[in-house]
Amino acid sequence: MNRPTTEQKKQWEQDGYLVFENAIQDSELKRLQSVFDFWAAECKEEWLDKVEAGEAAATFYDIPNPLEKDTIFIDIIDHPSYYGTLMEFTEDDLILLGPQVRTVAPWPVSYTGWHPDVGKDNPLHIKVQIYVNDVPSGGGEFGFVPGSHKPDSGPYKRPLLQQSMPGHKTFPGKAGTAIMFNSCGWHASMDNVTDEPRKSIILIYEKRTQGRIGPTQFAAISKYCTTPERRKLFSLPD
Amino acid sequence: MPKIDAHLHVFTKVSPKFPREVTALCPAEREEPVEKLLGEMDKHQIDQAVLVQIGGTSIQHHKYLVHCLQKYPDRFLGIGVVPINHPNPDKHMSELSEGTGIIGFRLFELGGPRDIFATKGVRNIKAYKIFEYAAEHDYVLWLYPRSIDAHLLPFLIRAFPQVRVVLNHLGMTPGKGKFDLDELGRPRIQVSGYNLNMHTTYRLARYENVMVHLSGQYAFSKQEYPYKDLAGWHGNLLNDFGSKRLMWATDFPWILEEPGYGELTTVVEKLLPNLSESELADIMGGNAKRFLRFPNRNS
Repeated sequence: MNRPTTEQKKQWEQDGYLVFENAIQDSELKRLQSVFDFWAAECKEEWLDKVEAGEAAATFYDIPNPLEKDTIFIDIIDHPSYYGTLMEFTEDDLILLGPQVRTVAPWPVSYTGWHPDVGKDNPLHIKVQIYVNDVPSGGGEFGFVPGSHKPDSGPYKRPLLQQSMPGHKTFPGKAGTAIMFNSCGWHASMDNVTDEPRKSIILIYEKRTQGRIGPTQFAAISKYCTTPERRKLFSLPD
Repeated sequence: MPKIDAHLHVFTKVSPKFPREVTALCPAEREEPVEKLLGEMDKHQIDQAVLVQIGGTSIQHHKYLVHCLQKYPDRFLGIGVVPINHPNPDKHMSELSEGTGIIGFRLFELGGPRDIFATKGVRNIKAYKIFEYAAEHDYVLWLYPRSIDAHLLPFLIRAFPQVRVVLNHLGMTPGKGKFDLDELGRPRIQVSGYNLNMHTTYRLARYENVMVHLSGQYAFSKQEYPYKDLAGWHGNLLNDFGSKRLMWATDFPWILEEPGYGELTTVVEKLLPNLSESELADIMGGNAKRFLRFPNRNS
């Protein structure tokens, strides 16, 4: 298990994010892209029906129950490129809350404004966003306000324009890049002014608290969770 | 500052003088005439209002609306309806607006691809022509699009920044099959617990030519007046659009019986209790006067 370096730990404390270039690469990345595209296409009509019914947002969609669709979506949950870092930051008591295998359409406005996901009193809540395709600047890349996760930071207010957020940093990147961030920090998807959708996977983790995830939440993939570490990560019984 | 009710409907019984469509919402014998509205407005010190066409889209169907606007020119401005598939929307809009008091048009559909990924070029959206004509003639566009069309809005709004746009009923975009009538015979819209409009219409806050009216709470709420379950929704709109870009409206006559016109005049202060006096005055009429260019009363 690759633990973070002293430098990485310092940056995490100070800025609230880390970038792992080439976290997924070569044949594994190709397979991830292929599986992502297959299931995104398979699930698109169902999503459009939900949009029409007013039951889904029109600007992006997630592949439903991805862990049950292909094992590669399970394998990236505890991927060696960042799993050791997640474990370090949660004192080896990490749980998965869920994955979002997300396609975001090109649109004149970013699909989401600047926001934190949780309050600063929440147990440590970490997201890892993995780019499945290349995400250039202006291509809906991830944005984060370094230091906004700190208890004494802010207050922050959502600006009308994404690029007007004071002190923000954007993260264009190649396919396979993973960005880990403390999700009580302010973040957003920047505007996508290209013609290409942004394809990414957002993995949501938290430091364990009793009963946060029930034993049946990930029961459908129990057979793929054969090690004690993985069963613990997915809140499955021993 | 005047108090202006920014969205409501009046209609008469069906007659040769004032023809209209008959629907479950507006049965042939039902009438909610402008005099009844004026009685409520005067009783509750509401100065002016926006009359929004109901009862059909043809020129003939607009006769009662035009009659009301011409009879009370310092009390009302009007919004007509233009069908998305009209072969000559410019002719329709011109005929309805010339000398009538109709300042804009309501759209329920935008006529683009249902798939956001297939949206290639704003000119391919059917509503483009209507926006273009609105830009040339300074019409206001009054939008209550279907959920499947909502993603088309920023393409059009960005293309025509000079067109004043008003998102109806809290920026809602109703889903297919989610509209029916409640036990009082008024619109009811099923909405999901998680407000999906924050990903579409709320994102339009960045465009300064877009306003939202705060109305229709009765149709979305699962609670009785003052519809406290919608407080968060109102708060988000205030946060995103600001107090200068929200307009209060009652959606008369659907609120007459329950909870009553008078109650609706205080719904904004009940759902947004932290507004300052001047912010409340803006929402209750100042913004509508400025944005819609209401004349002074008795002018």
